Amino acid sequence: MESKRQLSVEPTPLQGEAYSAAPRDGAALNGHKPQLMDAERFHDASERILNSINTVIDGKADAAKLALTVLLAQGHLLLEDVPGVGKTLLAKTLARTVDCTVSRIQFTPDLLPSDVTGVSIYNQSSRQFEFRPGAVFANIVIGDEINRASAKTQSALLECMEEHQVTVDGHSYQLGLPFMVVATQNPIEMEGTYPLPEAQRDRFMARISMGYPDKEAEIEMLETHQASSPLVKVTPVVTASDVAAMIATVQQVYVSTAIKEYTVAIGRATRDSARLRLGASPRSLLQLLRAAKATAALDGRDFVLPDDVVDVAESVLAHRIILDRKAASSGDTPQSILRGILASLPVAQEPPGAWRRDRHTA
Amino acid sequence: MTATSHRGSPGAPSQSGGTPGHKQATGSVRSRTPGPGPYPWAMAGSITVAVLGSALSLNGVLRGWAWFMPLITTVVVVALTLAVLRALRAQPLIATLGSFAALAGVLSFIFCRQDSLAGFIPTTGTFTAVGRLIKRAAETVVSESAPVAPNAGIVFVVCACLGLLVILIDALAVPLSMPAASGIGLLAVMVVPATIKPQSVGVAGFIGAAVGYLLILGCSHWFAPDARLQSGAARGVGQFRRSVVTGGLALALTMVVPLAIPGFETGTFPQGSRLSPWGTSNGLNPMITLGNSLRSPVGSGRITYATSSSSPLYLRSVTIDHFDGETWAPDDRAAERRVGADRIETGYAVQGEVVNAVTSVNAGLFTSPYLPAPFAPASVNGLNGRWTWDPATLSIMSTETTTRAQRYVVFSAAPKVTAQSLAQATAVPQGIPEDFLRIPGNLPDIVRQTADSVTASANTNYGKALALQKYLRSGEFTYSLQAPVQNGYDGNGLSVLADFLAVKSGYCVHFSSAMAVMARAEGIPSRIAVGYAPGRLTGESVALVGQGSFPEYEVDARDAHAWPELYFEGLGWVPFEPTPSRGVVPEYATESSVPGNLSTNADEKEVLTTPAPATPAPVPLPGVDTPAGGSASVNPLPAIGAAAGGVLLLVGFLWSPRLSRSVLRRRRLNRKPVDDAETILPGYKDPAPELAWAELQDLATDYGLPSTPSETPRHFSARLRSSTALGDANGIDDAAHNAVASLTSDFERQRYGRPAVASQAAASRIAVVREALRNNARWLVRFRADWLPPSMMHRWVHALGAPFRALGAFMKSVGWAVARVWRTVRGLLPQRR
Repeated sequence: MESKRQLSVEPTPLQGEAYSAAPRDGAALNGHKPQLMDAERFHDASERILNSINTVIDGKADAAKLALTVLLAQGHLLLEDVPGVGKTLLAKTLARTVDCTVSRIQFTPDLLPSDVTGVSIYNQSSRQFEFRPGAVFANIVIGDEINRASAKTQSALLECMEEHQVTVDGHSYQLGLPFMVVATQNPIEMEGTYPLPEAQRDRFMARISMGYPDKEAEIEMLETHQASSPLVKVTPVVTASDVAAMIATVQQVYVSTAIKEYTVAIGRATRDSARLRLGASPRSLLQLLRAAKATAALDGRDFVLPDDVVDVAESVLAHRIILDRKAASSGDTPQSILRGILASLPVAQEPPGAWRRDRHTA
Repeated sequence: MTATSHRGSPGAPSQSGGTPGHKQATGSVRSRTPGPGPYPWAMAGSITVAVLGSALSLNGVLRGWAWFMPLITTVVVVALTLAVLRALRAQPLIATLGSFAALAGVLSFIFCRQDSLAGFIPTTGTFTAVGRLIKRAAETVVSESAPVAPNAGIVFVVCACLGLLVILIDALAVPLSMPAASGIGLLAVMVVPATIKPQSVGVAGFIGAAVGYLLILGCSHWFAPDARLQSGAARGVGQFRRSVVTGGLALALTMVVPLAIPGFETGTFPQGSRLSPWGTSNGLNPMITLGNSLRSPVGSGRITYATSSSSPLYLRSVTIDHFDGETWAPDDRAAERRVGADRIETGYAVQGEVVNAVTSVNAGLFTSPYLPAPFAPASVNGLNGRWTWDPATLSIMSTETTTRAQRYVVFSAAPKVTAQSLAQATAVPQGIPEDFLRIPGNLPDIVRQTADSVTASANTNYGKALALQKYLRSGEFTYSLQAPVQNGYDGNGLSVLADFLAVKSGYCVHFSSAMAVMARAEGIPSRIAVGYAPGRLTGESVALVGQGSFPEYEVDARDAHAWPELYFEGLGWVPFEPTPSRGVVPEYATESSVPGNLSTNADEKEVLTTPAPATPAPVPLPGVDTPAGGSASVNPLPAIGAAAGGVLLLVGFLWSPRLSRSVLRRRRLNRKPVDDAETILPGYKDPAPELAWAELQDLATDYGLPSTPSETPRHFSARLRSSTALGDANGIDDAAHNAVASLTSDFERQRYGRPAVASQAAASRIAVVREALRNNARWLVRFRADWLPPSMMHRWVHALGAPFRALGAFMKSVGWAVARVWRTVRGLLPQRR
């Protein structure tokens, strides 16, 4: 089944030069600029996607919403949890709900970088090297058990995740839009895992820990998942162009200066914190803001609120910051430290002298 | 970012509030202009004006103006040093340290020139001299009452303090950018006259300080070296007008408010009293404490006595005979004192009849080194401790013990003095120390002239004495405990005497010293006796040794008295009573005893016999007068007005939180929306939702749900709506919930959304929310929200705490600077291997 899906990559124009010539960030799906979506249609589409996911995965509406948020914010998603809580299921459901190309890479210890990115092979008939696209040439790439591959294979994803392109033999090949890597991994304490390098982790917009479902959801899961995989019933509810339009809409969400200041303040607070060895990078703040924009759009707003930032901050930042040794030994987690920072950081609801503002603005 | 721009400047009249970010940028651009310009000079000038202006009020604490010149020198030198260093763009710490050095230099130059190197570089000798000066100042503070003589010690302290004040104000205003806080320093200066002087700070001092303070504020606002103090608005007419209006209003209020509050004019302390932790009377110098004893509302130091004497008994503690110097004090003549009070000799021959008397005294709680005894003591029995007596003055004192709890019996013997014997005592005084005849060198002209004119018609010493007493007891003079204080000559000394003769109002100290000094000017030996006027009967009787039972009298601090004693050859020291309404005029000195040929002036006689109607001082009976009577006559009208004003002010005070809260609410909600579309610039945000939001937050604070800084608007709104304060969501308070929700979304849209102008009026929604909060609150909460709204109180407390926070910040920065300097110094030192 997976291979069949992968075949659908073929019709898209993949031949060498065409990729590099394609506009970089211009939402070049099928050659035309995606339309913006009005609020109502956006809301409908997002509801459809979420409902579809929720029929498959019981009791994980938050994870589903965050996954959609990351998709709309053009980020990549890292699902981390113990085996058997539905990481892969979530990834596959999200991929299926959207009518777009999906490829799946099962990261095994012997997987090679060229398996991921693609390889140039010699064409006997044309007597030249041809680029054979790897698994990343799809709209949604599911990287299962990503930390079971060696670091060098993981690193093969670095360029395509950040720059939406693949460079092989000096040629850069543009990836399509939307492009999203949904990777799953077991916690690093598990056997046979290679921890993701920091640079790799920093490229994932958000990390979700699925967690165990609650009692009712688990009972229902046992009932519904007995006979067949619920995945079979999932049909695409939106097209790739719809998603592209949604992404474009998210990009239009307004971010006020106050929000930017707040975001930067969060970043600075993590860097200044004595309990953190590594704070949030500028890229992470960029992704935090993008995720916040998507959250705002999903909430039906065309501007970002501090609440949006707060909502996604933990998922976006927790996997990037590194604890000080002392903090780690005292039982702190990145989540708890982030929560502490958010609880102490002023949101600046009321700038000083606001009640006399009329003097200056009139 | 904006928070720092407000640091330390609450209360600055010319400060005009919040600073939009884009305007700050222009401020910082301007600050990059090269050179500090006229700023340091203008600031130094303002500080000089402020400090010297507030120092004007010290006149009255210090007598005269002689102290002002050194003060001007000190302040100007320090301020000039600061200005020069600032103009040379020295580090703030360097500038401050430099000004300290300048202060030390100028103080050395003024006060310890001989002890200093090159006249102004302090050496160890300088410090010894400074120690002496400070000791002198401390003595002055402890022992003298205002106005004190401007001796070197006290002037040194004043100069040093005000020099330090210049440095402090400069540090607050320039490097710390907290000019408003500099007012504290000026206030510290004015506290001194406000507590010590009965007429408080005085208009000149107040205006001087206020003008200087406004200059400092204006200067730092005008020339602010960085953008922190700039309100962003261009330095325009509007700003100037605002400043003038605000400053003028504040000044006018400070002038008007004290008039309405009763008790504001009389100062904190009873008139003329000293701020002394060593009690009201230490007995060291009875002359000085006398006025205060008289003015004290409750008599302390009660002494009871019983005497066999038939005439009213004066208890005499000590005499004063040195009329030189700024302040008169008893001369103890320690070298000549003799030990043992059981046999006391007068040392001069007395002719005629001698009247003996036995007096039993119980000193009780009265504490003094001088023993009160009737004149002239022949022996004192029953004393504890070692007592000495002075043959010249017959004052009995002890350096080891005090009169406290002493019970003793005095046998006294005084010559029987009559008008005839006095009139015959024309011989030149002999056998008494020259001290009693010495006329002080700096005798003011008015004293001698008055003495001469009064005694012009008398030809004997007795006649002159009577003339002097008659003059002082005449209607021209009034007895007043308050007049010397109000006119600034409370105390003693020759300059005080001159003032007294000009004002013609005072109490026993002034009358007795006037008579004593004028008598000496006329060649009569004289001294001032200090002690107690005849007391009141207690109703009890005491048995005296071998004399039977006699009624007991009591005296206390209110009976403290001073009277002159004049020496007549052959009669010895004879007391007189020039003080009207106090004590008892001895028979020999009464009008009836005056031989007709001595009083030739008929007018004078008339004046004497008819009490002057204009005299406000009461003429109580001898021995029963109370000093409090001086202020008994009070016009009731101002009192009623003052009381009404006080009540009004109290009401206003209690009302003020509520009033300011509602004014704030009105200002927030009743803004006129900007209709003129053309004036709206791109990026303009309608402030109305933000103001409404601030009001909502304050409302929630008032009803016990304050928002926290790290809380998002949405979270706050959710918390408010889920709390019980707002009532039931789907019940009668549904409207309030909806109002909160819509206010929140309006605010969010305004603050975080795209710039837009459209917003609906918030007043009605706020009113709905307020109504719901009121209805769901308990009465106590409601009362607090109405009358002491926490949102307002927090603001005020915050504003009140600003100076302390500023001080903390200052200390912190000083600490950092010291640490930095130390690190640098340590780095420069050679490393030891």
